[in-house]
Amino acid sequence: MADKKIWVIAEIRKGNLTRSTSQLFGAAYKIADQKNLDVVGVLMGGEKSHAESLAQKASLVLWINDPGLETYEATRYFHAIWQLIESKGKPVVILASASSSGLELMPRLAIRCETGYASFCVDIWWEGSELVARRPIYGGRAYEELALIKEPALFTIRSGAFSIPGNLPNSGKVETITLTFSDDLGLKLIERKSTTSSKQELSEAECVVAGGRGLGSPENFKLLEELAQELDAAVGSSRAVVDSGWRSHDEQVGKSGKTISPDLYIAFGISGVIHHILGMNTSKVIVAINKDPEAPIFRNSDYGLVGDALEVIPVLTKELRSRR
Amino acid sequence: MKLKIAVLVKQVPDHEAMVQVKSEQELEIEDRYVCSFFDEIAVEAALNIEKNHPDAELFALSAGGKRSIDALRRAIAMGIDQVVHLGDESLEASDSNYTAQVLVARLRILQPDLVICGKQAGDDDYAAVGPMVAELLDIPHISGAVSLDTNPDLNMVNVGCEREGEIWYLESGFPLLISAEKGLAEPHVPVVTRVMKAMKANIQNIPLNELELHGNKPQGRIHRIRYVEPPSRPEVIMMQKPFPENISELVNYLQEKGILS
Repeated sequence: MADKKIWVIAEIRKGNLTRSTSQLFGAAYKIADQKNLDVVGVLMGGEKSHAESLAQKASLVLWINDPGLETYEATRYFHAIWQLIESKGKPVVILASASSSGLELMPRLAIRCETGYASFCVDIWWEGSELVARRPIYGGRAYEELALIKEPALFTIRSGAFSIPGNLPNSGKVETITLTFSDDLGLKLIERKSTTSSKQELSEAECVVAGGRGLGSPENFKLLEELAQELDAAVGSSRAVVDSGWRSHDEQVGKSGKTISPDLYIAFGISGVIHHILGMNTSKVIVAINKDPEAPIFRNSDYGLVGDALEVIPVLTKELRSRR
Repeated sequence: MKLKIAVLVKQVPDHEAMVQVKSEQELEIEDRYVCSFFDEIAVEAALNIEKNHPDAELFALSAGGKRSIDALRRAIAMGIDQVVHLGDESLEASDSNYTAQVLVARLRILQPDLVICGKQAGDDDYAAVGPMVAELLDIPHISGAVSLDTNPDLNMVNVGCEREGEIWYLESGFPLLISAEKGLAEPHVPVVTRVMKAMKANIQNIPLNELELHGNKPQGRIHRIRYVEPPSRPEVIMMQKPFPENISELVNYLQEKGILS
C-alpha cells in the first residue's frame, strides 16, 4: 500500500451512499493513478453494509462507527474528521461532495489544517507537483483554474462533474474507528422536515424536469410530477414559479437557487433568462420546450421543441411509457 | 441580553452583467456592481432581529477594495448605522482564507454574539468565507439558513437551514455564525432619506497594517493560474415535425444519443 493517500468523504442519504459519493471516486482515481496514491474511503456513521459497499471502491475504509454520527451535524462531523487526521496523519488530498454538509465541513477543515480549499470543482489534475482545480465563477460565465500549494489539498466536487468509475479492482478492508466527543458541541438538531414531493433529490438526480410559468398554474405541476416518475427524475422550478409561491425554494434552479448538472435537463415553459441558465448550463444534455420560438432558452439547449408545455408533457409521458 | 450582530457584505457584479474572459490573466466585467444577493438577505435578517430587540447593536463589515464601500453604503441605506471597511485593492485577488483572516481580525475586537453572512458571494461563488470565519473565531456555524427565531431571553436561537430535500431546525446558543439562504428574509427597498444618509456617510477604513493578520498572505494557500472560457454548447437541434409527431422525434434523438434507454 502506498503511504500517500487520498481521502474520499462518503455521504449517506435516505439509507444509501449518495451518487455524488460514487462520483468522487471518479475524481480520486484520476489523480491517484498519476502519482501512485491510495484511495481511502472515510465513512462517518452509517451501517456496516455502507462501509462494505464503500470498500469495493477503495483500498481501505476508515469507518467512524459512533451513534453520535448517525445524523449529520456539522460540529460533530468536523471534530470527527479532525480527530481522524490527528490519529492517521494528513492525507495528500481530501475530497467531499459540494453538498450542504461538504460545503460546511471543508472550509473549516482548511483553516484547521492551514491549507488550501477549492469549492464546486468540476475537474482536478496534476500540473507537475501542484494539484489544479477548475471551477466555475460568476455563475459559470467564466472558469478559473487554481493551484493548491499545501497538503492536504481540499476540494468539494460538484455533483455530475465526474462519472462513476466502472470496474474497480479494489476490495479494501474496513477499519472501524471509535472516537471520543465532548457532550456539548454547540448545535442541537430539533426537527427535520421533508420539502420535496419527488422521490429524487434535485442536486443528486441524473434527470431533472423543470417547469416555469408556462405551466399556467401550480396544479399543472402534477403533470410534471407524473413525467418525473416515468423518468425517475427530480422536479425543478424557475424563479418566477417559486416567487409566485407555486413551488418551494429548494426546487428552484438558478443563480439564487440550485446549480445543478444532471445528465438530462428538460425545461418546460421556461423562457431562459440568464438567472435560470446559470443554474443549469452545465447539464450534459438540455432539452427545451417552449411556445415562443424566440425564447432565449433555445440558445442554451441541445434539443428544442416549439409547443405548449401543457400539451407536450402528457404526450411525452405516454410516449415514454409505451416505449418501455 | 443586548445582542451584538455583525453582518458581512461584499460588492459583486450584477448577475446580468457581462463577464468575459479577456485573457488567461484577465476578465472583462461590465461595470454594474451590486451588494451580493445573499448578503442583502443577511442585512435584512439582522434588521428583523433588531425590530424585535430594539437594543440590538448592528455592524456591517466589508473586506476588499474601494468597491466594498458601496456594499457598506447599501447596508447603511437598508438600516445599519455602524459600518467598517477593511483593507484595500490587494484583497481583490486574495484567497478566501486571507479574506476570512482580515474579517476575523476586526471581529475579534467587536466580539459579536451573532455573525450573519450570505451563503456565497455572487462573484466567485466560493461559499467558504463564512465557515472559515466561524472556525477562526472557534464558534459553531450553520450554512444555508432559511429561518431564524430568537427566544425572548435572547440566549438561544432556532435556525432552519436547507439540506438536500429537507429543512433542518437547529438550536444554538451564542456566539454563532449563520449564512443566509434565499427565504431567510426579504430585502426591502431602502427609503430615500436612508439612501441620502448612506451617500453622505463617511466610511471608516482600517488598513491591513493595522489588523492582526499573523503572517497570513493574500495567496498563501491557493493561487489562480488562469481564467478559461466556459465550455460552449453546439447549435440547438429544433424538432421539425408537427405536434404530436415531434414528441416521437425528440424521444428518438434522446434514444439515439443513449440518454434515454
